[in-house]
Amino acid sequence: MEAYRQEIILGAVLVYMIFCVITGLWAMKRTKNSSDFFIASRGLGPIVVALALFSSTLSGFGFVGGPGLVYSIGVSSFWMVVISSTGYAVGFFLVAKRIRMIAEVRNCISLPDVVAARYSSEAVRFMMAITIVLGVMGYLATQILAMALVMQAILSGTAIFVDISLITCVVISSAVLIFYCVTGGIIASVYTDVVQGAIMIIAGFLILITATTVFEGGMAEASAIILADDSEAIMPFGAAGIMASFGWFFVFGLGLAGQPHLITKMMMNKNISDNRSILPMSLFGYIMAALLWISIGVVMRAAVVSGTIDPLALPDDAASVFLSIFTNPLLAGVVFAGLFAAIMSTSDAFLNIGTAAIIHDIPKAIRGKSIKNELMWARIVTVLLAILAASFALYSHFQDATLVAILGAFGWATFSASIFPVVAIGLNWKGATVMGAVTAIGSALIINFVVQLAGITLPYGISGGLVSFVTSLVLFIGVSLMTKPPELDDDINTIMNI
Amino acid sequence: MRSKLIYLIFAISVLLAGFIIAICLAETVPNAGGVAHAVFAGMQAGGDGAARLEHIGFYAYACQVLLLALVVCLCALGISDRYLTREFLWYMAGSFILSLIVWEQMYSGHQTFLETGTTRYFLGFPVATAWQVYGSWAGAIPLIIIYSFGFRKFIYTKEDEEKFNQLLAEQKKNTEQ
Repeated sequence: MEAYRQEIILGAVLVYMIFCVITGLWAMKRTKNSSDFFIASRGLGPIVVALALFSSTLSGFGFVGGPGLVYSIGVSSFWMVVISSTGYAVGFFLVAKRIRMIAEVRNCISLPDVVAARYSSEAVRFMMAITIVLGVMGYLATQILAMALVMQAILSGTAIFVDISLITCVVISSAVLIFYCVTGGIIASVYTDVVQGAIMIIAGFLILITATTVFEGGMAEASAIILADDSEAIMPFGAAGIMASFGWFFVFGLGLAGQPHLITKMMMNKNISDNRSILPMSLFGYIMAALLWISIGVVMRAAVVSGTIDPLALPDDAASVFLSIFTNPLLAGVVFAGLFAAIMSTSDAFLNIGTAAIIHDIPKAIRGKSIKNELMWARIVTVLLAILAASFALYSHFQDATLVAILGAFGWATFSASIFPVVAIGLNWKGATVMGAVTAIGSALIINFVVQLAGITLPYGISGGLVSFVTSLVLFIGVSLMTKPPELDDDINTIMNI
Repeated sequence: MRSKLIYLIFAISVLLAGFIIAICLAETVPNAGGVAHAVFAGMQAGGDGAARLEHIGFYAYACQVLLLALVVCLCALGISDRYLTREFLWYMAGSFILSLIVWEQMYSGHQTFLETGTTRYFLGFPVATAWQVYGSWAGAIPLIIIYSFGFRKFIYTKEDEEKFNQLLAEQKKNTEQ
């Protein structure tokens, strides 16, 4: 079996991709209008929403970057993972119920739609839509590049595709992604997410078992090896220190309720009461899948420190080297399929919300009405957006990484800082004003842009994301308290009382 | 009640901002955010843990306490005024205390290690790290339980459901007219 390792991995990935294409074709029959395309007409069951929610949370970063971060900075990066239970809880307490209610009452198909309804403001809709488009470009470009690099690594290991180029891999992987997103919209996206989520849970569980067998003394021996080399790396704040850890706790924990690709999914369930089962199911799935992040990272750092294996060329090689050395080919196949699943499930979510912002929200904010034939334009813009992101990815890889790096700054931290106060607090506090919302979004964008462009480094590992989040929170509430509370529309007022 | 909660959330946010500024202005320690590993490229080392906390330990500890308080205040903000009962607030207080215990055990466990240089292991990790890994995950379980099992009592009661359905019905009627 070992002799066919690459072929087995390739086969698993191929089966997964064929499944995505078939799902796209199936979902196309169920996609009849833009509401189907963007929010599945609010008709999804709890299991589907739960799996879609957690699989979109854990992107390719979780499968590749996560273990790499543990290898690089030790336990510091655990904070991004262990905060998930708090993050999901805050998200459901603050957002899940009211966003779903407003979506139904106002027939909203996107997050900026909900925000415009809550604040009766097209300016807030416009700023939210622009933030989403900028963030989506950065996220999508990095996800597509990650997908292509993994595909190239798999294919170049076989005799037939040994010289396959990165451009070909970008084309193949983007083509599959575009196909099922264009044909089936969010319906294809969430149903592929279900399988993607299941694969990720299985992969996380099996990897944990494998990781505990690498050293005779299990994870405790791996921890002891790291402790003997550099104790801080395996202590609670890791190599990056207490303030970096705190920043991740804050930005990844509270910030979960500010991620547009996640909270948009909270608009899609059929019954509001399903939320009570969606929350624990999502969290369970996330924790199981995240076991991969922690276990591979710890074992790989210990294996290198102890001399069991050679040092890695790059920290991000941690997962792929672990799979090639410590797992059998079948498990490696499942995990590589899981990796594609993680990348694609996040990419399709971003493609969907980015398209909604471009064809629905920005025209509505500027012209005051939607464009005609939204479904047709949604499909066209989905293709164009994916091609543009793929081009960014290639340009970044071969020419200049600056552009994608800048857009990448509009990632999780910027979404957290700009969207969390406006949505999570704004949906629950009647005193939130348009001025407060605009100030919060604006400050979050400016701080993240400046920190990124100027390369500002703060002492003790304090991140720009933490600074922008706290600033935007203070400004949002402070400015709202200083400005006149708005007159809420009757329906929004009723919803905020429920 | 919710309108008062926002002042508390605001106060916590301002205090957090103040502590972060204080940390930025505190005496710096070389490589407080990690240093390149002496042997392995791509790895960072933490170095002297005690030195890294010497000037900012109190502020960092307080930041985390404030964040945990912020979490329960935000969860309470999501609850309708009618259901912010004494029972609910006790549950929230319990959840806050549990997360404080986890944080205190994690921080003091780390301090003890820095003083003694020895540690026990629990389920694969040094005790302080085990509190972080398992404790942080488990620390929010009460919030999940309150949400899931208290859904019909605090989050979305039958009465709420009726009100919402009534709102939908009125809207439908208005649209038809």
